[in-house]
Amino acid sequence: MGFLKELGVASENIVFSSDTSEEQGREFGKGRGTVDCCYPVKAMSGHYGELIFGQKKKINVLLSPMIHSLPSVLHGHVVDTVTCTRVMAGPENIKAGFLKERDIFAENNVVHASPFVSLGDRHMVAEQMYTSLKDVFDLDREETDRAVKAGFAALDDVTARIRQQGREILTWCAENQKPCILVLARPYHMDTGIGHEIEAEVQAHGYPILWLQYLPGDLDLMNWLFESDLRSGRIKNPFDISDVWTSSYSSNTNEIMWGAKVATRCPWITCVVRLSSYECGMDQPTYTPAQKIVEATGTLYFKFGDLDSTKPAGGIKIRVETIAHYLGKYSQEIIQRKLKYLSPKCPLTDLAAHSPAGAGGDVREAEEVTINVM
Amino acid sequence: MGTLVTIDTNIQETVNHYTAYRPKPFTREERDKVTILFGGLTWKHERLMQGAMHNLKYKAEPLPNIARDDLDAGKELIDVGACCPTIFTTGSLVNFLKKEGALKGKEEVAKSYAYITAGACGPCRFGQYHESYAMALDGLGLRDFRLFLLAQDELDQGENGGGGLDINLSFSLGLIWSILCGDVITDLEYATRPYEVKPGQTDAVLKECIEFMYTVFNERPDHGKKLGTLAWHLTTSYFTNALREVRKKFDAIEVDRTRVKARVKITGEFWLQTHEGDGNYNIKHWLEQEDSEVVPPPVAVWLHYLMHPVIRRLEHRHSTSKHHKRDEMILKLLERIYVGTYNRFRKALANIPNELPDQVELKDLAEPFYHFELRGGEGHMLIGKALYAYHHKKAHMVCELSPYSCMPNTMSIGSMANVIGKYPDLLYAPIEVKGDAEVHALSRCQMILTEAKKRAHAEFEEVLKKTGLTVEAIHEYEKHHPELRRATYKIPHKGYSGTSANYVLHLAQDRGLARA
Repeated sequence: MGFLKELGVASENIVFSSDTSEEQGREFGKGRGTVDCCYPVKAMSGHYGELIFGQKKKINVLLSPMIHSLPSVLHGHVVDTVTCTRVMAGPENIKAGFLKERDIFAENNVVHASPFVSLGDRHMVAEQMYTSLKDVFDLDREETDRAVKAGFAALDDVTARIRQQGREILTWCAENQKPCILVLARPYHMDTGIGHEIEAEVQAHGYPILWLQYLPGDLDLMNWLFESDLRSGRIKNPFDISDVWTSSYSSNTNEIMWGAKVATRCPWITCVVRLSSYECGMDQPTYTPAQKIVEATGTLYFKFGDLDSTKPAGGIKIRVETIAHYLGKYSQEIIQRKLKYLSPKCPLTDLAAHSPAGAGGDVREAEEVTINVM
Repeated sequence: MGTLVTIDTNIQETVNHYTAYRPKPFTREERDKVTILFGGLTWKHERLMQGAMHNLKYKAEPLPNIARDDLDAGKELIDVGACCPTIFTTGSLVNFLKKEGALKGKEEVAKSYAYITAGACGPCRFGQYHESYAMALDGLGLRDFRLFLLAQDELDQGENGGGGLDINLSFSLGLIWSILCGDVITDLEYATRPYEVKPGQTDAVLKECIEFMYTVFNERPDHGKKLGTLAWHLTTSYFTNALREVRKKFDAIEVDRTRVKARVKITGEFWLQTHEGDGNYNIKHWLEQEDSEVVPPPVAVWLHYLMHPVIRRLEHRHSTSKHHKRDEMILKLLERIYVGTYNRFRKALANIPNELPDQVELKDLAEPFYHFELRGGEGHMLIGKALYAYHHKKAHMVCELSPYSCMPNTMSIGSMANVIGKYPDLLYAPIEVKGDAEVHALSRCQMILTEAKKRAHAEFEEVLKKTGLTVEAIHEYEKHHPELRRATYKIPHKGYSGTSANYVLHLAQDRGLARA
C-alpha cells in the first residue's frame, strides 16, 4: 500500500483478493491448477481468478511479486533470509494456468505484473521494481526510489506496532503470571483459509496468542532470555541460531527455529502450536529439531501438520480441547520452572512483586557482569 | 562491532537445551586411519573421484550404489515428508553404518569412517540433507560419527573439520576433473549401448575404461596445492591422452545405427537425474530396454550453472564487490576455460559426448516462463533444457525426473504447462518419483515414449524416402567402410532428433551414398 500510494494510486483503486477459501478456489480457480503442491501456492489460482473475474470494477494490473528474500529480525545473524522456493516461484507457476490454453490476462485487459523483489536486501529493491514495473506504471527512477522508501516505511511501521503489541501481551502475562501461546508457523498461516483459524479456537479458551512473526525482538528482553547462552558462549547474540540450525538460508525456517528457542526460554509461553501445510518441504526437516528445542524446558508442543484446503473442524476441536486441558493443568508449573532458569531481573515486570511468594519472595539480589555480544 | 550487554549471574538452575549436530574434529594424524565415505553420483564418477582422493593419500570409499532397501532404512529414521533423494541417501548411509557396526561395533565405526557431502544450495532441501543425516545418526546412536559438508562454490576452502580434510586446489580440481571425465565417458556409453551389435560389450568396455581412468587419477602428478596445480590442470594433455585411450577401447565396439531409437533427454532434480539405480527405478536402463537412446544429464551442466547467478549479479551490479567489471571479466574467462576444458575432453572422445548448452541461451529460452533468479534446485534450467532440446532437435522427448514434493521442481513443472501451451508438439514426461511406485512412474513415461517412438520411426522413414536409401543398401555400404560401424564414429547432427535419421542423411549427403 505504501509503495502504490506513493506512486499516486488511490486507495479505492487498490483491491486485495479476499481470504483464501475453498469456495474461492472452486469459483475462480477451477481448472487453473498446473501441478499438485502445497495449498498456499495452489490457493493462488483462486486469488488470481477472483481478481480477474470477480471484481465489479475491473482491475487493470494484477500485481503478484516474486518475493526472493524477506526482512527479518535475524538478518545479519544468519546465512541468508530467502523465501521458500515455492512461494518465490508461485507467480510463474500460477500464471501458467491462466496462459496454457489462451491468454486470460489479455482477454480481460489485465497486465500481469510480477516483479522479482529481494525485500531482505533493501538496496536492490528500487532497481528491481523499476526494471519490472516501469512500463506498467510509466515510472521514472526517482519516483520509484521514493515509492520503495515509502513502502518500507509503511512495512516497518506496522511491524513495529504489532511487535509492540506482542510485548504488551507478554508484559500482561508476566504481571499476572498468566500463560500465553506462541504460534510457530509461516506468514501465510495467518490467512484464515490456510491456517484454518486454529489459533482463534485456542484463543477462545482464554489464552493470549503470539505469532512468531511479531515476537518482540527487543534487546532487553532477548538478553534476559538468552543470558545463560551468551555467558556460556553457546551463541554470540540472542538472534544467533547456529547452535540449533546450521543451514540458515530460509527466512521463515530460521525464524521458526529462533521462535522455538524464545518459546522454550520465555516463562509465560507455556505452549507452542506448530502449523504446517501439506507437502511443506521447508518445514519437513525442522519438525523434530523444533519440537526438541521447545520441549527442552517442558514447554507444551502441539503440531497441526499437513494442513490443506479442507478445514478438519472436528479434529481441530478435539485437539484444541486437549491443548486447553494441558494448558490449564500444567501452565503454572511450567512458568515457575522456567523462571528458575532465568535471572530475577526481568525487563517486563518486577518478578518479586508478582512471584507466588509475594513481594520479597525468593528472589535474590542480582550480581551483574558485562560481556561483549557480537 | 559488538555491543556491551549487562547480564545477571544469579540464575538458579540450568537446562540442557537442544543442540544441532556438530562433528568432532577429523585431524591430520587420523588421515591414514579414517576412511572417507562419499556418494550421490554414478558409480563411474565415484570411482574416478576415489582415484583423485587416493592420489592425495586419502582413504576414500564410495557408499554402495543406492538400493530399494535404503528407502525403508531412511524412512525409519528421519522426519516424515522428506523427498526421496533425502530418504535414499540417508538410508544408504544408515545401511552402510549398520552393516559395519554389526561387524566392528559402533565405537570403531565412528572412529574409522567419516562422510563428506555437498553442502548448501540455498533454501532447497538439497542444502539441508545433512540435517536428515544427523537425525539418522542420532537414531543409530552414532552421534560421534563425523559428517562434513563441502561448499560447492569454493575451490580452496583450506583445512576442514580439524585438518584431516584439506580442501585445496589440487583436491578440488582432482574432483572436478574426475567429474568431467565421468560425464564425457557416460555420454559415450549412452550413445553406444543402444546400438551395440554384441549385447553387453559396451558395459564390459566401460568397466575396463573406468578402471583405467581410476589409475589415471590415482597416478596424477603432484604439482602442489596452489597455482602450479591449476596451471597444470588447465594445460596438460595428461587427461586428454587418457581419454584417447578410452576412445580406442570403445573403437572395438561394433554398432548398428540403423536401429531406430527414440532419443530421450533426461532432466530433473540433480540427484534423481544423475542417479543410475533403484533411486529412480533404473529408468535410464528401462528406457534403453524400451528402444530408446538416453541423453544423460552431465554433472558439468550443474557446475556451469553455479557460475551464472554470480555473473548475472555482477552484470546487474547487485554484487557487493567493488570491482564489478573486473570480477565479471574474470568469471567469464573462467567460464570459457571451463567450457574449453570440457570440449577438449569431448574432442578426445571424437566429439561424441554432447556439448554443454549455452547457459545464456538456457536463461533466454526459459525467461518468458520462469525467471532466471528464482533459486532452488535447477531453477530455470529445467524449462531451458526442455526448450533447448526441442528447438535444437536434440531429443524426441524430455523425461523430467522429480522427487515427490520437490519444492523447486514442482514449480517449474507447473510453469511447463505454459510452455506446452505454446509448443504443443514438445513431448514432455514429468515423472514424479517416490521410490516405491515404479509401475505408476514407468507407465506414465511409457505413454509419452510411445509417441516419441512413433516420431523416431516417422523421421527415419522420411529420410529413407528422401534419400532413396534402404537399410539393406546401408549395410552393404558399411561392409566396405567398417569405420562406420565403430562406436566412436561421429554422426553429425543433420537436423533430425534421432541418431538413425541423422546417420542416413549423413551417408547420403556427406558420403555421397545417395541423392539429397
